[in-house]
Amino acid sequence: MSDDHTLDGNGVAGLLREVLASDPTTTRRRCPDCGDTQPLGRHRAYRGAGVVLRCPSCEAVAAVIAEQASELVVHLRGALLVARA
Amino acid sequence: MAGAAVLERLTSRAPITWRVATVLEVVDETPTARTLVLDVPGWPGHRAGQHVDVRLTAEDGYQAQRSYSIASAPETPELAITVQVVPDGEVSPYLVEEVRPGDQLELRGPIGGFFTWRVEDGGPLLLVGGGSGLAPLMAMLRHRAARGSTVDTRLLASARTIRDALYRDELETLGPRDGLRVAWTLTRETPPGWDGFTGRVDAEKLAAVAPPPAAAPRCFVCGPTPFVEAVADLLVRAGHDPRAIHAERFGPTGS
Repeated sequence: MSDDHTLDGNGVAGLLREVLASDPTTTRRRCPDCGDTQPLGRHRAYRGAGVVLRCPSCEAVAAVIAEQASELVVHLRGALLVARA
Repeated sequence: MAGAAVLERLTSRAPITWRVATVLEVVDETPTARTLVLDVPGWPGHRAGQHVDVRLTAEDGYQAQRSYSIASAPETPELAITVQVVPDGEVSPYLVEEVRPGDQLELRGPIGGFFTWRVEDGGPLLLVGGGSGLAPLMAMLRHRAARGSTVDTRLLASARTIRDALYRDELETLGPRDGLRVAWTLTRETPPGWDGFTGRVDAEKLAAVAPPPAAAPRCFVCGPTPFVEAVADLLVRAGHDPRAIHAERFGPTGS
């Protein structure tokens, strides 16, 4: 499932970087639906009014980020494996 | 702390802030793409393959933001981005047609540690770029050249016509030639006497250019989403390790 409007986690990394202190493209996420663990850079990104990130293995929603003028509204699903400095 | 460790901390942990960049030079690459050479005070350095976000603010306060790959080597003091104009885009027509030396842009980065390569990472290297997806791969090739590396590197670049082929003259002379192979495929129109590939990247072209899967090349694929999906799929089917395939997609929303 892909079309011309799909990006990947790399393409929205600047936005994700506002949410995470770690590098969002290499930070791994474990999907609660299929159990696969993949870097966010490899997740699919759909950009519209906000951003929807989906698991590259099963397409389940991984994150929804709405961009408002003064804040980001962030919904996350699954476990993020954040490397410690 | 060693320089590399400092860079590591800066690129992965520092708060990401908007900086004001000044356009030093504008280079026409093709009829529809330009490279902007930027001076970015306080730039913390980058790794080949990383990108920046560029933000434009209209007089009424409306903001538009896009991501562009860095095309320059980390060893070069100025930052270069290559922008392909997307008709009716909000940002790219301004950057390609309007921006002049001395103009200022807001920029943040470097962003991303997933689609990156350093000489220390080793090879062999397979780079496959479609259209302006060549930009981050060019940063890797310029980095390889700046370091005098002879790591086995194969580039397969796809463009619609020879006029759309980015960095072609530089790629013909970029060093070190030892271990470097550059191949082009033109998908729409070929000039008389063309001896490169024609048509879309397919299994045969990849097999002709790529190191064999047994050599375990690091693969970097960048371009429009359908191009990247197709090439990554071909590489997996040819027997390349999916974990060694680094993909970066951009779509019309990256305009």
